[in-house]
Amino acid sequence: MAAAEAGADVKRGLGLFALGVYLFLYAPIVVLAALSFNESRSSATWEGFTFAWYLKLLQNAQVMQALRTSLIVAFVSTVVSTLLGTAAALAFHRHRFRRAGWLEALFALPIVVPEIVIASSLVLLYAALSLRLGLVTVVLAHVAFSVSYVVVVVRARLAGFDRTLEEAAMDLGAGPWRTLFAVTLPLCAPAILAGALLAFALSIDDYVITSFVAGVGSTTLPLQIYSMVRSGVSPEINAVSTLLLLATSLLLLAAHLLERGRPARLCAAPAGLGLALLAGPFLLGGPAAAGGERTLNLYIWSNYIAPETLAKFEARHGVKVNVDLYDSNEALLAKLQAGNANYDVVCPSNYAVAILARQDLLLPLDLSALPNLAHVDPAFLDRPHDPGNRLSIPYFWGTTGIAYRKSRTGPIDSWNALWDPRFAGRILMLDDARETLGAALLLDGRGVNEEHPAALGRARQRLLAQKPLVRTYNSADFDQVLLAGDVWLAQGWSGQFAKAMDQDPDIEYVVPKEGSSFFLDSLAIPRGAPHPQLAHAFLDFVMEPEIAAEICATMRYSTPNRSARALLPAAIRDHPAIFPPADVMKRVELLEDVGEATVLYDRLWTEVKSAR
Amino acid sequence: MSARRQALLLLAPAALTLLVLFAVPQALMFEASLGRRSAYGGIVHEWSLANYARALEPLYLGIFARSVGLAALTTALCLALAWPVAWWIAFRVPQRHKSALLVLLVLPFWTSFLVRMYAWIVLLRTEGVINAALAAVGLPAFDLLYNDLAVLIGQVYGELPFMALPLYASMEKLDRRLLEAAADLGASPLRRLREVALPLTLPGIAAGGVLVFIPSLGAYLAPDLLGGAKGVYVGNLVQAQFAVARDAPFGAALSFVLALLVLVAVAAARRPLAAARAL
Repeated sequence: MAAAEAGADVKRGLGLFALGVYLFLYAPIVVLAALSFNESRSSATWEGFTFAWYLKLLQNAQVMQALRTSLIVAFVSTVVSTLLGTAAALAFHRHRFRRAGWLEALFALPIVVPEIVIASSLVLLYAALSLRLGLVTVVLAHVAFSVSYVVVVVRARLAGFDRTLEEAAMDLGAGPWRTLFAVTLPLCAPAILAGALLAFALSIDDYVITSFVAGVGSTTLPLQIYSMVRSGVSPEINAVSTLLLLATSLLLLAAHLLERGRPARLCAAPAGLGLALLAGPFLLGGPAAAGGERTLNLYIWSNYIAPETLAKFEARHGVKVNVDLYDSNEALLAKLQAGNANYDVVCPSNYAVAILARQDLLLPLDLSALPNLAHVDPAFLDRPHDPGNRLSIPYFWGTTGIAYRKSRTGPIDSWNALWDPRFAGRILMLDDARETLGAALLLDGRGVNEEHPAALGRARQRLLAQKPLVRTYNSADFDQVLLAGDVWLAQGWSGQFAKAMDQDPDIEYVVPKEGSSFFLDSLAIPRGAPHPQLAHAFLDFVMEPEIAAEICATMRYSTPNRSARALLPAAIRDHPAIFPPADVMKRVELLEDVGEATVLYDRLWTEVKSAR
Repeated sequence: MSARRQALLLLAPAALTLLVLFAVPQALMFEASLGRRSAYGGIVHEWSLANYARALEPLYLGIFARSVGLAALTTALCLALAWPVAWWIAFRVPQRHKSALLVLLVLPFWTSFLVRMYAWIVLLRTEGVINAALAAVGLPAFDLLYNDLAVLIGQVYGELPFMALPLYASMEKLDRRLLEAAADLGASPLRRLREVALPLTLPGIAAGGVLVFIPSLGAYLAPDLLGGAKGVYVGNLVQAQFAVARDAPFGAALSFVLALLVLVAVAAARRPLAAARAL
């Protein structure tokens, strides 16, 4: 009696425990689905129910294009890797190979090696083969990392497999192929399906490898999402995630019903709905890449140019603009150094321009084709990274500074505030070796481009002393962390803080009195650009005062275009974060490439971050 | 046609694909790991072990140790959470509900990992969902985000199904008569768990352990997003060499050391697997 009761208790306890684990798995899913219906753009507050983000999603051409690309890549790579992987699993099952150790290693290692290593090794391979980066290179990479998973899943199923069935078929006179298709394959169909689903899930979520091997027209959804994260995960991204999840659930439900022998009519409804959701992006204004039409391939930061602005250029020149996005200068450098991208216009920061120039990777500009350069403020021309602007034109700039919640901190004017114990646990620093060591260097009275090891060593000591006060290092959505109330002071870049100030009047921005750094992002044309003339036309187009003003007004970064600034509404023209007064401009220094010292910066920063 | 020729024909396409798209690039990487970084972040080819010597400096060894610790903790927690759930599905749930419950375990994985991590931030942060719930019942708020616990939550969240599925697979296969025999002979539930159920599911534990431990070694998103980037793990370190310092040779050397660690871990998992097969 007692034992039976205890057994029932265990049973109930086990069920409750399982329920708890399922809740743990679904809590974030519920949150992201809820946020896709939230009226507020920010994830910090709930302001009411709306479908607006789903409509916005449909109108967001870039996200829809990325979704299409992701689905195409996932579908093709899943089919290929499932075929290859299943065949290999069967081979392993039916035959003991000699020297199997090497074969086993070849199939097991892709699962074991970190993604970033596979990514950069593929970059080396594609460069060695001079393969143009694009959809093909992305699909090949996805096949490379999913085949092994399919093999593992199918082999696991075959391992518990009754060989007598196959032997019986052979004894009854069936050849090896007939046995394979009539007996073995049907028996492991569920495992093949499981392998395919895994391959699909891996492909649709891959970021690291794709970001290294993507080229013109192959920005997938994860690439799009990562590049948008600087402005926080937007409700549109939550909407697209919810829809993908819904489509998958419907397809799995259909498979489930089918397996349980329900009538086909009943299964058709969820299957049809799921497939319709997946096909939706292709039906609603599918890829408009008409053959023979001229295109301009633009490779740029996200939130740097509005689709409406691009539409004007397309209309004026009768061309199509192809936009791909990146989220770090290093990603851009890797692409151009490999020498097999296919871009017409890129947007490197000043130090990246210098690196590209020294490696002769940029096309000298024909300044006679750029009359609108006259509108650019001379303060941003002829800088050391590109003397005489032979290779690049200034596009956007901004400063590094501190944004703070003034009701909590009072007025702030010095980098010392970020070392103030009163704000312990409420401080955010950029996750960036140059910027954090830069702030410490400025407090020591040095410059932000310091290369001397002793000075850098002292800066590291300062950062080590500061670490217990720091809540988080973040250089992606630092403005969102400040808005959400997790920190009161944040080091960061002016453009993002300007938007935060519009959302919350309690937030103030300052360039500290000790000085600071500023960045200058330029447009340039890589060597080997397929459409150099059109690229020049684009460069001149974005320097037209009306266009430059429109770009600045929509994106809120600072324009170097004098004539454009005069056309802007006063709220932007006199915004202290977007266009700081002249005395601030005197104490900011352009962040330059530090050459060999880059390795030292990285090492010191690793020491700071790994300290307990 | 002989079975051997058929097997070779079936194997060749995948083997060739991996040879070209995996083995050859890895060989190129190994060559790179013997070189050094050029002033512009390119690769200067040399034949030197300097990068490997650097990877074994105390600073980096500490980071390796920390990563192994995180991976081990993640694996242990995943096991503690997944084992009872897998057991529940295998032995306590009616047959017709099993596949649905298994699918529900993996369904969250069809959304981007990054998006799910951001959802966790919304749950955990100072003015987040959990603290709002606590405040509603009159409890004080906690700083749940940007600490080691948050990293662990993110890691366990990301790896749980990779533990649960192999566990379930091994439980499905095990001989129920052994469990019944132990109960009939009067063994207490705890003793049945320790001496019968756990040993019988050892293959699943080993397989799940490998599948969770290996990716956890290379983790970098959860430490950055949920941990506030306040700790460096090997994943972040390797990532930074390629994506920030542009020191590909050192990054390559680090990743080969990591791969070696992983091979050791896999070899360690083989012994319980072999022992379990002998059972």
